[in-house]
Amino acid sequence: MKFYKDHYDVIVMGGALAGLSSALMLADKRLDILVLEQHNLPGGVATSFVRGGMEMEATLHEMMSIGPKGHRLKVGKFFDDMGVDIDWLPVPEAYHASLPGLEVTLHPGMERFAHEVDAAVPGTYDKVLALLNLCHTVMESVNVLSVTPMSKPKMLLKHEQFVKTAGYSAQEVIDTFDLPKEAVDLLSPYWIYVGNKLSDLPFTIYAFLMGDYVGYGSFVPHKFSHEMSLKMAERAEALGVQIEYRQRVEKILVKDGKVTGVRTARGDEIHADYVISSAYPNKVYTSMIEPLSEVPLGAIKMVNGRTIGLTAFSVNLLLDATSEELGIHDYSVFYGSTMDTDHIFENYNGLGPYEYVTCICLNLANPDCTPKGMCSYSITVLPRPEGWYNVTMDNYDETRRRIAGEMIDMMSAKNGVNLRDHIQEIVIETPMTVNRYTGAWNGCIYGYSHNMKDHVVARLQTIEKDKFIQGLEFAGAHGISGDGMGPQVTNGRKAAKNILDDLMAKEAAKK
Amino acid sequence: MKVKGFLKDVGGASRITKARISAIDNASPVPVKVDPIHEVAYALHPGRIELVVTDIRPANSTCKTVRLQAADGRRLPLFRAGQYIVLDFQIGDSLVSRPYSISSAPLCTVGEDSFVEVTVRSGDGKLFVSDYVWNELKVGDHLSGIVGCGDFFYEPLRDAYHVVALAGGVGITPFASMAAEVAAGRLDIDLTIIYGAQRHDDIILWKELAPLEGEHVHFVHVISGEDPDWQGERGFITAELIKKYSHEDTTYFVCGPQPMYLHLYKEFDKLDLPARRVRFEVFGPVKDISQYEGYPQEAKGKTFALTVVRGIHEDVIPVRADESLAVALERAGIRIETGCRSGECGFCRSKVLSGHVYVSPVSDGRRAADKDFGYVHACAAYPLSDVKLKVPIL
Repeated sequence: MKFYKDHYDVIVMGGALAGLSSALMLADKRLDILVLEQHNLPGGVATSFVRGGMEMEATLHEMMSIGPKGHRLKVGKFFDDMGVDIDWLPVPEAYHASLPGLEVTLHPGMERFAHEVDAAVPGTYDKVLALLNLCHTVMESVNVLSVTPMSKPKMLLKHEQFVKTAGYSAQEVIDTFDLPKEAVDLLSPYWIYVGNKLSDLPFTIYAFLMGDYVGYGSFVPHKFSHEMSLKMAERAEALGVQIEYRQRVEKILVKDGKVTGVRTARGDEIHADYVISSAYPNKVYTSMIEPLSEVPLGAIKMVNGRTIGLTAFSVNLLLDATSEELGIHDYSVFYGSTMDTDHIFENYNGLGPYEYVTCICLNLANPDCTPKGMCSYSITVLPRPEGWYNVTMDNYDETRRRIAGEMIDMMSAKNGVNLRDHIQEIVIETPMTVNRYTGAWNGCIYGYSHNMKDHVVARLQTIEKDKFIQGLEFAGAHGISGDGMGPQVTNGRKAAKNILDDLMAKEAAKK
Repeated sequence: MKVKGFLKDVGGASRITKARISAIDNASPVPVKVDPIHEVAYALHPGRIELVVTDIRPANSTCKTVRLQAADGRRLPLFRAGQYIVLDFQIGDSLVSRPYSISSAPLCTVGEDSFVEVTVRSGDGKLFVSDYVWNELKVGDHLSGIVGCGDFFYEPLRDAYHVVALAGGVGITPFASMAAEVAAGRLDIDLTIIYGAQRHDDIILWKELAPLEGEHVHFVHVISGEDPDWQGERGFITAELIKKYSHEDTTYFVCGPQPMYLHLYKEFDKLDLPARRVRFEVFGPVKDISQYEGYPQEAKGKTFALTVVRGIHEDVIPVRADESLAVALERAGIRIETGCRSGECGFCRSKVLSGHVYVSPVSDGRRAADKDFGYVHACAAYPLSDVKLKVPIL
């Protein structure tokens, strides 16, 4: 029996957001695409599950780069352009910061945000707005430069702020604004979405986050992130992409430095000119390339020279009371004993108790997400994988339960309601859960750490140095844009664009 | 901090680029192949593994207990008491799978002799797979299976310390696992098992269960059949009886045949408990789909053509209106992964490309977006016309 064609233009390993974005863009150019996804549905961690007859969001907090209808940002526009019609619901606020001495809800819109910071920390309006404006300018440059190569002089002329801040950490740039500590604290919580402390996080990344989220707000799909993943997959199939679920790629076949295809766990050998891998380079270069002798030393040094980002630990609850009854008033709450990201980052190196959490009550953006009278509530921390290395099969259950219990009790104390008295369903997601469903190296959802030694601008500058095997592209959080669901679309498009550029170059060479 | 007046600095991009290049140039050339997070994830969830039958013994006059160990001798995954195993069978030309609650304790997977046990009732010549297990399966046979599925287990963050388990028939199996785990001091709950049976001297797994009775494991037999010697509770499990053995805050787990569920839904209504305190194991495959609300009666008795799409390959097989799409596939020897066979777990998620199917409201565990795009759980979808179905290549 033959289940596959003899040859595809491109095989995409992994049907999550990055892989599906690649597939959509390439299918739109009439290429013959096969997507192989190891799980039985698309999306990777952008998914949902059903417990006790009720659907629960698996991981999405908020999608960036969408923008309201009529003012779409790049990811929202990509979905629109590709005919992926998602029912986006706006998230009502940016976030609520609940820190020692501070209880402040901040809303999107740069002036409104600055006013709200000023109300909490008087006299800061002008400086905060100036910082947000700088962030916005840098974000706009990032959006241009991530797709348009540009000479250095031209870049300096047109994207001056971007160029001049590129060499500095978020902390260094924020410090130049000379803001009181409380105001800096209120401007810091989004670090968690990029997974590095502000002292080592490129300002470029911080600026992108602030410019995008604070400038335009965020969105969630009406029918959980599965709606987004599924609609991407369905649209890809409508464009002629073949998607096969439950197909785990075991080997990427390489001959004379060039990709020739893949072999699946089932034993199918499938040929293609290009392979896009959502598996981490760490896994690809150490155990997936066949033969391994095709892996150059540089590839091993490349993965060893970079730092794997954070993983996730999340307690997802369905509670049998409404958010009001439970004292939950905000969609997104950042809560902790400190906003010192060096300290929080250190705390995330261990196995808990974790001191800084981010909580989402989905009902406050999506009232239909639970049956009436209930609410969906998740509490998340972002540990480093190494902290989990001593967890074994035997202490796994008690470890995750202990940590989940600490987080539930922490939020119960804060909200003034014992959440344990209301748990209808509970699902605890750990680094192992992420690895189980996606195969992500070390259960890492954050790709490679955005740090000053692996700066996004440097990644763009050295893009050619990171290429080791012809025809092999990577699309996932390990891509240039790093982690986050919005950036996965960008990473996927980048991989597709590399292939299209290569094809064009080959065409040109023929002529 | 390097430069306060960064706005004059145009060399930043070069600096960070050099920093990146140097970090990579100075990195170790030794490949790191091991992913410690994956190793634990894989030990817990290895997927389908090859098993060998190492013992078969009677559990009472109508049930047998089958012991399974890994064919390669590895340790089996540490599941949670109450979970089930999915076993695959090749019977004639059919490739079928069935879920069985694991009757042995998770404790039995720890150590060198790592095993799980399932307790299977005789099919009395009427049940395809049960009859096979009862009549054909023997020690030394190989089967593949997935150990540790489902959400029917005690969760201390959610459930009360006092647990009342209500069991009927072979539904005692998940509670046998829990009771052994409690008795071994590995599960900190107070467990009362209320067990409905025909006779007190023919109770499934009683030889294993009786010695577990103690400080935190209690049994209450409720005998419904002719049993002149029986001194204890009689009749059916009622709201009053449940209340009698409950504490102020109690979590209830229920596992048994469908008529018992239908009876207990009404009894639990009378008790007016918070929904989070009452947990039923999955319903199982429905017996007669045509009895459910909204089923189009004109489909009854018909046979349709099922076009099965796997990749670029298509097969056409017959499917009867009264059987699920999964059953038709299995009979035709087309493997489909099923788990709970109750429409809940989603293992058999497949896409209806054309045609009409009926999904009963009691077994519709689909995601909302899946419903919009014609996805079904094949174990709980019944054809109403010729159907074209895309399934994973297995």
